[in-house]
Amino acid sequence: MLKFIVRRVFWTIPVLLVVIFLTFMMMRQIGGNPFRQSERAVPEAVQRNLEEKFHVNDPWYLQYAHYVKGVFTFDLGPSLVVRGRDVNDIVRTHFPKSIELGVYAFLFALVIGVPLGMIAALRHNTWVDYSAMFFSNVFHAVPSFLVATLLIYFVALKAGWFPTSGWTTWEHKILPSVALGFGPMALFARLVRGTMLETLQQDYVRTARAKGLRYRRVVGLHVLRNSLIPVVTAAGPLLGFIITGSFVIELIFNIPGIGQSYIDSVSNRDFSVVMGLTVLLSGIVIVANLVVDILYGILDPRTRDARG
Amino acid sequence: MRSKTFWLLVAMLVASLALVAAGCGGDDEGDDAAGTEATTGEEGGSEAAEQVITVNWGTEPPSLDPGLASDTTSANILLNIMDPLVILDEDLNPVPNAAETVETSEDGLTVTFTLRDDLKWTNGDPVTAQDFEYSWKRTVSPELGADYAYQFYGIVGAQDYNSCDAKKDDCAALADKMAVKAVDDKTLEVKLTTPQPWFVQQAAHHSFLAVHRQTVEKFGDKWTEAANIVTNGAFKLERWEHSSAIDIVKWDEWRDADRVKLTRVNGRMIEDGTTAVQAFEAGEVDVLKAGLPPDEIPRLKDTPEYEQYTGLGTYYYGVNVKNITDVKQRRAMALAIPRQSIIDNVAQADQLPASGFTPQGMPGFDAINPDSPFLPAEGDMEQAKQLMDEVASPKTEITLYINDAPGHREIAVAIQAAWKELGITSEIKQQEFQQYLEFLGPPPNKDVDVYRLGWIGDFVDAINFLELWTCESGNNSTNYCNKEYDAVIEEARKTEDNDARYELYAEAEEILFGEDGDMPVLPIYFYTYTGLERESVKDTFEVNLLDQVDLTKVVVTE
Repeated sequence: MLKFIVRRVFWTIPVLLVVIFLTFMMMRQIGGNPFRQSERAVPEAVQRNLEEKFHVNDPWYLQYAHYVKGVFTFDLGPSLVVRGRDVNDIVRTHFPKSIELGVYAFLFALVIGVPLGMIAALRHNTWVDYSAMFFSNVFHAVPSFLVATLLIYFVALKAGWFPTSGWTTWEHKILPSVALGFGPMALFARLVRGTMLETLQQDYVRTARAKGLRYRRVVGLHVLRNSLIPVVTAAGPLLGFIITGSFVIELIFNIPGIGQSYIDSVSNRDFSVVMGLTVLLSGIVIVANLVVDILYGILDPRTRDARG
Repeated sequence: MRSKTFWLLVAMLVASLALVAAGCGGDDEGDDAAGTEATTGEEGGSEAAEQVITVNWGTEPPSLDPGLASDTTSANILLNIMDPLVILDEDLNPVPNAAETVETSEDGLTVTFTLRDDLKWTNGDPVTAQDFEYSWKRTVSPELGADYAYQFYGIVGAQDYNSCDAKKDDCAALADKMAVKAVDDKTLEVKLTTPQPWFVQQAAHHSFLAVHRQTVEKFGDKWTEAANIVTNGAFKLERWEHSSAIDIVKWDEWRDADRVKLTRVNGRMIEDGTTAVQAFEAGEVDVLKAGLPPDEIPRLKDTPEYEQYTGLGTYYYGVNVKNITDVKQRRAMALAIPRQSIIDNVAQADQLPASGFTPQGMPGFDAINPDSPFLPAEGDMEQAKQLMDEVASPKTEITLYINDAPGHREIAVAIQAAWKELGITSEIKQQEFQQYLEFLGPPPNKDVDVYRLGWIGDFVDAINFLELWTCESGNNSTNYCNKEYDAVIEEARKTEDNDARYELYAEAEEILFGEDGDMPVLPIYFYTYTGLERESVKDTFEVNLLDQVDLTKVVVTE
């Protein structure tokens, strides 16, 4: 098992290198000038000084090597546009906020989604089931930015219950978390309902009931536990996805998370920030997948051998 | 049994919903968090007890280093936390501020600033002429790599120092040669390459602010963080949470602190225009400084909080004269544009139809403006058609390039329709801003027949606008090059007398847009800035032509 994990961890390194290489090459192809941020042309001397200062004129392989070294020593370099800040600073300031938002949204999805799926499964083919599934289908289909806009308009602006934007007090954090959590919530509900219906048909459930176990105990102990396994495996990557996928919500609610920095860095051609954040976010996705692989390995020894 | 479980689950669901709804119960607190209620009085009048406002600057200030800042937001914060040598009055004339006097020698080549006696930094150190010398040279130094180093190119030796290559040149010697010198603690002497009547005005620009040397040297790149920064202006930086909040508070020890009413200005950085408007409507911010989304303007225009200011800027279409070679076609294209209806129906912020390139509000505007016969406010389709008929080989299929920011496409479509009537089919191509800039050059990509851009003045002299259309200008993407025009601009640079210079500017405008004008550019409108301001501050929160606000003048009324 240990060997399996070590090998998996080791394999993330070439993946990361490929990500860095591709991002690096794409950024070079995209064009644009990080030192010119308005229609105002930059005088030649100024442009030269800046290129010198940030080594953007070195041959590409030197820049690439320099960069790879930076990644593995956790020094992502200075921002080319937001002068006086380096990428490490930007990650340190903004990333925790994105994580916080992601975690709250995830918790919201879990706390609402799982019970909803359970109820739907237990009341299979009744109006409870239909309405629960109707809502989760709707929320699964409706994009989060629409939910966000509607929430801001009705709950914040019209009702005045919450502030419209920002990320300071707990009141500020509720609407964005809910808006971001609705999609995953619907996903959880459907997932739990599906697996639970399946589990309820299993022989061991019937046996347990036949043995005279109380229904509540059967559901609580056997059905629920077995139904949640797929949820656990889905949850890891989903959490990664939520954290990396909150850009739009961050923009709408003006949350100083990593998403805004990412978008700004791309449109400003702030190459070092784009690189740094891409590496970071792909790192998260890689780790999430790694965790799933390992979890599968633990839960199902067959995959360990097959993938080993 | 089954139903018990069901109710258990229902209870769980209800409980979790209640968790979410808990916030709803606390709605009073919610309002407090939004809390600027106290400052939003019904009717203007007496001073409010609490002199606190929240301003949405619209974006994170990219830098609070006067040398590195190159945008309006940074400039607005900087000009309020630092003490500029001169400031501009309502008519944009320079008035001594931190400088007690400003004297220009008779030949116009030497400018001497004498500092006031009561200037000090927030750490207690006095502000000296040496601070200014250090700061200006630092901004020009190649190591800093400042965008706005070119603001100093009018000073003897500045351009040489900025272009210094450490491998070949002796940069320290070049720094010494840059002619800004602290004669003593209070006297700053500047030698100019030519008489530049706008230089004193230019010194009101934020790049001419002083920085505190020890702080800069001690903290390096991090000296502008709230914990480190040392300032010398009416307000001081209390908190700067990147991309989230920037709060400045009154500095009680400032030389003229008695005059300052505001005790605190909370700054927010809501980038999305719609979110910002919602935050204003929910009472979370008192002033939206960053401009309103075009599609919200019609709705907001009738509210008492709507505010707009004239800006020192021109929105224009440049014409690639190598592709559209016949001047008659360019004149016809200019005549066909119904500027006023575009403003009324598309741009909607009461911009002014442009009748030349130098914008309204510029000193000498009346003398300079050519009132071009080809730029009537409503256009003149008949005359345009006549002119078009005279074009020997018209280019009837053109490509019109715009960038993808909101509003540009709508204007382009209106102009496309107008040109259609002339028999010109235009294809609109939209690009992302950075790609767009690269595409425009100069020289522009061959595919560009017409392009959109705007120009916002850095300082208050028409030279800042008209030098764009010289042959060597880095902002001239039209391929237009007229030696006669260049000669007029060169002459203007040397002319110190305002009226004489305005006349030369008028001549330059005439070459571009007059009866025999070359029309390499089709000015569309002069900018206005839009915003929302709570009525309690509306009277005193004034934005000048350069999009700057002097917070020392703002008073919150009941």
